[in-house]
Amino acid sequence: MGAIKSVEQLEAYRRELAAAARPELPTVLVCFGTGCQANGARPVAEAFMDVIKEQGLEIDVNVGIKTTGCHGYCENGPLVALRPQDILYLKVKPEDVPEIVEETVKGGRVVERLVYRDKATGEAVARYSEIPFYRHQQRIALRHIGTIDPASIDDYILAGGYAGLTKALAMKPDDIISEVERSGLRGRGGGGFPAGTKWRSCVAVESDVRYVLCNGDEGDPGAFMDRSIMEGDPHSVIEGMIIGAYALGSHQGYIYVRDEYPLAIRNLTAALEAAREKGLLGEDILGSGFSFDIKISRGGGAFVCGESSALMRSVAGEVGEPRAKYIRSVERGLYDKPTVLNNVETWANVPEIILKGADWYASIGTEGSKGTKVFSLVGKVNNTGLVEVPMGISIRELVENIGGGILGGKEFKAVQTGGPSGGCIPERLADLPIDFDSLTEAGSMMGSGGIIVMDEDTCMVDVARYFTGFLVEESCGKCTPCRDGLPRMLDLLTEITEGCGGEEHLAMLEGLCDLLTWGALCGLGTSAANPVLSTIKYFRDEYEAHIRDKRCPAGVCKALITYHIDPEACTGCRLCAKNCPQECITGKRKEPHTIDADKCIKCGVCKDVCTFDAVRIS
Amino acid sequence: MEKVSVVIDGRTFEAVKDRCVLEVAHENGIYIPSLCYNSEVPSSGGSCRVCLVEAHQGGRMRLVTACNYPVRKGLEVKTDTPLVHRIRRGVLELLLARVPDSEVIREMAASEGIAEVRFRKDEGENERYKCIACALCTNVCAEVVGVHAIAMTERGADKKPATPYDKPSEVCIGCGACAYACPTGAITMKEKDGVRRIWHRDFQMVRCSVCGTPYIPQAQVDWIVSRTGKDRSFFDKCPDHR
Repeated sequence: MGAIKSVEQLEAYRRELAAAARPELPTVLVCFGTGCQANGARPVAEAFMDVIKEQGLEIDVNVGIKTTGCHGYCENGPLVALRPQDILYLKVKPEDVPEIVEETVKGGRVVERLVYRDKATGEAVARYSEIPFYRHQQRIALRHIGTIDPASIDDYILAGGYAGLTKALAMKPDDIISEVERSGLRGRGGGGFPAGTKWRSCVAVESDVRYVLCNGDEGDPGAFMDRSIMEGDPHSVIEGMIIGAYALGSHQGYIYVRDEYPLAIRNLTAALEAAREKGLLGEDILGSGFSFDIKISRGGGAFVCGESSALMRSVAGEVGEPRAKYIRSVERGLYDKPTVLNNVETWANVPEIILKGADWYASIGTEGSKGTKVFSLVGKVNNTGLVEVPMGISIRELVENIGGGILGGKEFKAVQTGGPSGGCIPERLADLPIDFDSLTEAGSMMGSGGIIVMDEDTCMVDVARYFTGFLVEESCGKCTPCRDGLPRMLDLLTEITEGCGGEEHLAMLEGLCDLLTWGALCGLGTSAANPVLSTIKYFRDEYEAHIRDKRCPAGVCKALITYHIDPEACTGCRLCAKNCPQECITGKRKEPHTIDADKCIKCGVCKDVCTFDAVRIS
Repeated sequence: MEKVSVVIDGRTFEAVKDRCVLEVAHENGIYIPSLCYNSEVPSSGGSCRVCLVEAHQGGRMRLVTACNYPVRKGLEVKTDTPLVHRIRRGVLELLLARVPDSEVIREMAASEGIAEVRFRKDEGENERYKCIACALCTNVCAEVVGVHAIAMTERGADKKPATPYDKPSEVCIGCGACAYACPTGAITMKEKDGVRRIWHRDFQMVRCSVCGTPYIPQAQVDWIVSRTGKDRSFFDKCPDHR
């Protein structure tokens, strides 16, 4: 069908889709997120198509036409979900497909070897919704992801999509802003600025032109929340932006996506095209008289372009460098016009807030941080992936209930939150609720929602050095503290990890942190001290061990450790000697081996291959 | 023009709304150091951070660069507090570490009591070791001269002004405005036998018909003539003999 010309027509179309849908039929949902595709989801999907075609089965298979976005449990991909049985299979291979079709699709039985198994108890869990990784989640921003085909606008409409927009078009623009204000929605990109307040101050500025922007320049290492939404449910972002534009009186929007997200760009482009065809974008949207369109602007891969003023310059075709935001972008933003910039996750929340109301949204979360937040939970936990939980959940709940505890039964040491310029929070503060204000108070930040879990084998000085190194690479070089201060900070940290640090190093580091926090031009620089400040605050003893005792307690910093073999534990199997790239392990078969410390490059291969845990670090 | 009153170091001044703090302060005899700002260049400023001052507004205090912070109602500025000096000293120490041989930076650092750098120093011979990457040169080229011959390239500590690919630029007119504006004298401009060399390119100079002094590059004359329609013969004589 062509363009939908009114709200009534859209609702009629939705009813038509619902009547044609046959939810009782078995459905195979193959995750086509980037992670699962990398793990081989495509051959799995093709195998399903082949088997179904061969057997002439009349089922609605989500292959080719209805592959889904990311389910979040990426380390176990490719993921295959089956409906209506609500079963999730992990690490599915093409050769598993005939069995799945035979047993589950036709017979309704579970293929035990493909289901989730609790790492601690060994208990099998077949039901999608009962897997601990999913059980504790509450999905708002990720509401459709994994269940709809991102390439199908019909799937989105059938799932209730664009109902937030139809409701919004019947409201006064001012009331929409009030609703967003009352919901307590705060920016999900990192700053946590109240979205409604931002919108309100933008409409207060007199102007003939206004812009709405979506920040999809997700650059934190290990973070893929926004990517997942853009890839798996692009219409939720588009719908949010249309509602925002209507409330703000804007007629042009831009989605800024980093070019490293080709699937996001492809799915967004297709979704924009589909929305235009249906009359949901462009002139006279749904016969309301309101016109708005969205363009995609592709970023070239600079981390700093996620900073709002740099992003706006980049959209305008200038060099992606921040400017002083003494005059705010709601006043003078893109092309010097009043501009509202929110990130992908923020926009994706908007349709649900309008549809279900501010009170509903505000009932979730904490006093100061409403709603849910999507986190990418990575690091040394059993279950890694993308999770959406209510604000206020404690770090421990996230790590233990959803993450399934620390990998290999090791000790939980810290979490790093907020991306490269976030901070590290120690295990002893793990009962801290995750919300904007608590994290900031603890010396870290929410950032865009990266959570890296660290165990006892992590050296906190090395962690600070790693993140500082990242920021050195990504500093745009415009202002002195960031351009010249960060490399000096990295020098000092490197010297400490190499055992050349003196007592004065700590004071110098703290001085540079002070300078960056007060003196840098943009958010990248002012928050760049967090990795160092938070690790000094909570793990000062580790710094001191490196400096005073020339010792790395976690056994990470190469200059401060030596590898040796415990003669009691060594069985003389020769495995380490065979794998040593330096050929510096000697010893006769069935006799304890020794490592020549002078030749050893501390690569750790011997420790990794030893099956008797005989290689020790001191 | 709308006027607002602003307090700087305890004294109240009337100033045009949205003018920068630095100019209002300087006009009233309050000194704030600066390097990367030039009042003739709209986009200049905000980069070197030596002009950071305390801005108190709406119950909130933060350090802002005086060179581009707009004067608005209710603003109180403090230019001489322990925090301002502490951060300025930090900035100057870093600048000194970056360009240890720059006379200008050494003097400015000394006035804040910094003689020695505790950090690694960048040392070397070429222009990089005088350049503080403030971008005033590229802003002058783009906004005052209007030719866009140079731009900031690279990023982080490697950031530097350059012609495209560090090759002689076809659009450069050899006017030397960049070298003139540079706060640390980092841009080399040499003249010998009626030829000026700047940004890897030689420019033939026009000699004054009266005194014979080579005073303006031919390329600059061409540029001005093409832009203004001014009579070419005007440039036969140097400003002293017109």
